[in-house]
Amino acid sequence: MDSMVTVGMPRSLLYFKFYPLWKTFLEELGCTIVLSPRTNKNIVEKGVELGFNELCLPIKIYYGHVAYLLDHYPDLDYIFIPRYISLDPQGFYCPKFLSLPDAMRGNFEHLPKLLVWEVNAKEALKIQWAIKLGAKLGANVTRTTAAYQKAVKSYKDFKAVIKGGIFITKALNALEKGEPLPDPRDMQRHPITIFVLGHPYNVYEDYTTMNMLDKLEKMSVNVMALENVPSEEFKNRVKIGGKFDNYWGNEQEILQTSHYLFDGGRSAVDGIIFIISFACGPDSLIAEIVMRDMQAKKIPYMSLIVDEHSGSAGLETRIETFVDMIKRKKLGGAN
Amino acid sequence: MQITFPNMGSAVYAFKALLESLGAEVVFPPPITKETIDLGVKYSPEFVCFPFKVNMGDFIRSIESGVTNIITATDFGPCRFGFYHAIQERILRDLGYDFRIIALPQGDLLEFKWLKTFDEVCELKGLAKISAGIKAVKLFLLKAKIIEDIENAEGKYRCREIYRGDTDRIKKELLERLDSTNNVAELSEFRKVIKAEFAKMDMNKDIEPLKVFVTGEIHVTLEPYVNRDMKKKLGNLGCEVTQTLSLYDWVIHKFHMNFHRKYMAQLAKPYMPLDIGGEAVWVLGEYIWAAQHGYDGFYHLYPFTCMPEITARGIITNKLFKQYNVPPLFVSLDENLAEAGLVTRLEAMVDLMQGKRKKNAKAKETMDSFMARESKGYIAEQHARQIKNKS
Repeated sequence: MDSMVTVGMPRSLLYFKFYPLWKTFLEELGCTIVLSPRTNKNIVEKGVELGFNELCLPIKIYYGHVAYLLDHYPDLDYIFIPRYISLDPQGFYCPKFLSLPDAMRGNFEHLPKLLVWEVNAKEALKIQWAIKLGAKLGANVTRTTAAYQKAVKSYKDFKAVIKGGIFITKALNALEKGEPLPDPRDMQRHPITIFVLGHPYNVYEDYTTMNMLDKLEKMSVNVMALENVPSEEFKNRVKIGGKFDNYWGNEQEILQTSHYLFDGGRSAVDGIIFIISFACGPDSLIAEIVMRDMQAKKIPYMSLIVDEHSGSAGLETRIETFVDMIKRKKLGGAN
Repeated sequence: MQITFPNMGSAVYAFKALLESLGAEVVFPPPITKETIDLGVKYSPEFVCFPFKVNMGDFIRSIESGVTNIITATDFGPCRFGFYHAIQERILRDLGYDFRIIALPQGDLLEFKWLKTFDEVCELKGLAKISAGIKAVKLFLLKAKIIEDIENAEGKYRCREIYRGDTDRIKKELLERLDSTNNVAELSEFRKVIKAEFAKMDMNKDIEPLKVFVTGEIHVTLEPYVNRDMKKKLGNLGCEVTQTLSLYDWVIHKFHMNFHRKYMAQLAKPYMPLDIGGEAVWVLGEYIWAAQHGYDGFYHLYPFTCMPEITARGIITNKLFKQYNVPPLFVSLDENLAEAGLVTRLEAMVDLMQGKRKKNAKAKETMDSFMARESKGYIAEQHARQIKNKS
């Protein structure tokens, strides 16, 4: 099994969250990872052509990435497509994560073998799912366990850097090139901080947000995202209305973050931008709760819905207006 | 205690029997009208799925008519349905309404979490409470099954009726009779009543109607106002409708005793090995089953952007259709669906099915162009355009 196995990996969806884990684990098991490029115009167009209108934007983009890998690397042994069902026994991922490999199999005529990493904490421990994946690659339990432990460690190291305030995308770039991870202490500090809320595959997808994060930095504001929120904020589950336990893993994090923002983190943040992709089911509900909470707490808040037709001018104006408003409010100025 | 619940087609009669057996005074929700939809749309998140908005409209109208105890079902993932009551409650509270919303957990009925809801609703004590609970379940299941039988007969006979409207009238009479019957012995014999009533109807017995299969997300498929009376439209176009989806079908599934669904999931397994919420996995199984049993067409109804159902839709258009070649029609329902466009599409589908049956020379071409139009989902296009125009 040490003859190199090449695995194509779409740079999309949970890549933004779990890449360090996936990379270390698969490489330890003797795989070479081929990543699709960062989302670009061609990938989005291809994805839109393959998916149909009502699908959410991230899934369309995912189609685009898989198509790119198929076109450019016809000799791949596998395409890595995870099936994240739940990471804790009470939780679920959204149905589109549950059926991601099925949706890809259903839409592409000629796929190489899929390497499906299924994770379902309702049925077994995470490491048991890792062992199952290792078995598919022909690795024995000892080797897989060692690989998984190493992967978890590198994932934790990565998270520690992110918690320091570094953007995930910057850290991921360094990781891909094999460079050391950036040091949070080198970051520039500005008087205004904007929190960009949303799923990592919406927030860090620079093509669809029209480089919003860079634009914000150029407007001399610190940008903070969900991944930079201290770990202890994610310990207690948020119950909607005090009793309803939110079962979606990704949305639980968003609600926990919003509670942090109007509670412990209130003084650190001056305004919140929630990035939502068109037709996102979970966000359609959670954004309602977040908006109502922010209104009640009087925190400057704006939601941006992005889709494949987003025009850069409109988006830019809205962001500028929002930031200007916050700057005037905090720093005063000619008005 | 006066209590109400959201509309879901004829299923309301089963819910009524359930709650009345527990000693509650049941008030039916006002029938869905344009006002319900408008209210629901106004106070719901813009991009939420349609049943949420319709329920919201139902709740507001019920509360404003003075009924402030609402019972509504809930689930524990993975689709949006489980969140409904929590977010609806928040919005209604913010609007200043005074009411009580009682969740009826139906994630897995063998976990018996619903007993707690029974306990909350039922004001009886001790042994009386237990016997009321047993009676409630018994009557509910009996009535739900009879409603399914009535609707099956409706689907079968409407395309054969000679005087348009006979089927509607008989269905209405049967449901009224069912509503006033609470005797277990009589209910057990109700199947014979259904048979006898439809036997009296003047029917065209020699025709061989198109056989179509209707399925989809449960709320939109069971609520005729929401699905624009799909079953009736199809019947009037001369199609014999099979719809295995019903409240009974769902509840039995949640008691782990629905072998039909187990079989459907088995058929779907190569394409979707797990339940991802909604009816997705069974819809795939039913498509395959319908193809294997010589159906002429397949109708899939779902709320616009419904997460599980559109996943199923993608697999049907891109994979299953190529294997089985039964034309599917997808109806994505929300407040923006234009009735005229829908009727045109239904008629086009009927032409297509008839052409295919007669083996018209052009059948293949027609099918290709039909699928090319259908596979992209042009209702969504209209919708996306409307959103663009607004912003």
